Amino acid sequence: MAQRKERIDRGIKVRSDDVFALTSWREMAYLAFPRVVPVVLLFLLGAVASIYWERVLVTTCMFALLAISWDILASAGMVSLGQALFFGVGAYIAGTLNHYFGISPWLTIPIATLGGGVVCTLVLLPVLRLRGIYFAMVTMILPLMIERVIEATKIFGGTEGISGLNTLGNVHTEFLVAAVMVWVVLFSFRRMMSTDYGLLLKGINDNDRAVMSAGMNIYYYKAQALFLSSAVGAFAGAFMTHAYQFVGMPVFALDYSIIPIASVAVGGAGTLAGPMLGSFILVPLSELLRGLGGLRVVIYAVILVVCTVGLPEGIFHYLSRKYNQFERWVKVER
Amino acid sequence: MLNVKDLIVFYENAIAVNDLSMEVREGQIVGVIGSNSAGKTTLMNTLSGLIWDMLIKEQRKGGERITVMGSVHFFEEDISKLPAFRRAQQGIVLCRERHPVFPDSSVTENLKIAGYLRKRAEVKQGIELSFDLFPNLARHRSRKAGFLSGGEQQMLAIGMAMMVGPKLLLLDEPLLGLSPAMQTQVVEAIKDVRRHTGVTLVIAEQFARPLLPWLDFAYVIENGMLTLTGPGPELMDNPEIKSAYFGV
Repeated sequence: MAQRKERIDRGIKVRSDDVFALTSWREMAYLAFPRVVPVVLLFLLGAVASIYWERVLVTTCMFALLAISWDILASAGMVSLGQALFFGVGAYIAGTLNHYFGISPWLTIPIATLGGGVVCTLVLLPVLRLRGIYFAMVTMILPLMIERVIEATKIFGGTEGISGLNTLGNVHTEFLVAAVMVWVVLFSFRRMMSTDYGLLLKGINDNDRAVMSAGMNIYYYKAQALFLSSAVGAFAGAFMTHAYQFVGMPVFALDYSIIPIASVAVGGAGTLAGPMLGSFILVPLSELLRGLGGLRVVIYAVILVVCTVGLPEGIFHYLSRKYNQFERWVKVER
Repeated sequence: MLNVKDLIVFYENAIAVNDLSMEVREGQIVGVIGSNSAGKTTLMNTLSGLIWDMLIKEQRKGGERITVMGSVHFFEEDISKLPAFRRAQQGIVLCRERHPVFPDSSVTENLKIAGYLRKRAEVKQGIELSFDLFPNLARHRSRKAGFLSGGEQQMLAIGMAMMVGPKLLLLDEPLLGLSPAMQTQVVEAIKDVRRHTGVTLVIAEQFARPLLPWLDFAYVIENGMLTLTGPGPELMDNPEIKSAYFGV
């Protein structure tokens, strides 16, 4: 007898999709499990980690934010190769405000977040009409260009950068702020993407002409998405500036553009949670491999290739499918 | 020439082709008539082997699971598992729906690309044949294919399929999006193709009126299932066909 494999939603998933989920603990637990457990896990990790690993976790959170900001942009149809632009602009705004005007980190970070968002949006506004590879090229070149401008004109400390900046306090405070921020950004933007506004952004990605024909000025909305994304990136930059107590040309380095994209490739695009998961795998992994010296990059690259070839949909998509659906053999009915 | 037995295709849990069997004899024009979502395109993709490519791509990105069952025999040989390019080499060539051409290449270049695997003399002959069959194309031979009208692009797409040297030519919705006048032109062209080359044709189409009188045999499918079969002119008089496809 001919058989085929069938893939259907779990009963509990169907039930908990509805408001009736509120009537049963089991369904509520089913909904809460994938959301609460990672949050608790991250804070637990932070609590038990050594100072060194707590610092790594802070860095990881910032890369997660960069990856999320990449995914927001990509959801609105803008593929960027230059998250370093957002990161660097945020970092320099916070650094200069703190160094030259002596403003406390608790103020420079919010200012840099908003200011970085505005600056990056204004800088990229003229190229908003470019699509695909052309937009990506411009975003990739801009941070490299700014890096050279700083080197040539010697502004903001030139090649030496600005050091001796204020910190947020000790590493525990930094971790708390970083972890809270990651979860706030992740859940609020995930919420946003499921509202009508998020649907509009996804529509621009899917078929921008159809959105135009529906009477929307897509460039206006693209600029908004750009602002949201670059503000998230600028926050990461500003935060890292104060964590390192240093700002200099390396904040525009290619790392800050590449690792977020690698995280998206590993985690799975379009979900915001996927990129975050990806960076929580990749960044600590690269720290773990640090003892291997030169081989580190090789092994890192191999893992990256295996992940993208073996699970091109991304780990998050795979996990969520396993969580929500199951497979079984059924007889083929004619 | 072509024998399809008990073909079943699932897209995840939705059945697209349901237990379909058909037979194509050499030199015939066979029609697969059905409305939207009847499963025509899926059937054509399965016959041409493109379904295996779709299957692998969906599998890799964890999308819809495509299940294909049943057998396809071509000249008594089982080709059910062959990939699309092998089937094209054996002579089963599909001209996909919505006239896909290379928009940035000229008409002649398009034909040359399609005939890449043939000998130089054959390519020359093929291009001449295409221009004979479709005089409109000859007039625009150095124009970019993207700037041709829909009907001309359709003719070019058929010409490109002919360049491969098919024994069995599959046409998926050749009349889609064309004006009635253009439709008659394309139907005339299809008849010319058969007359000139003697190629066997399977045409999937929902505009039955201009096509049915010329079909040696027609299969009417609905929701993936065969509902009616018979020679085309006979089906013309069938009251069900009249109400469903002619709007009488």
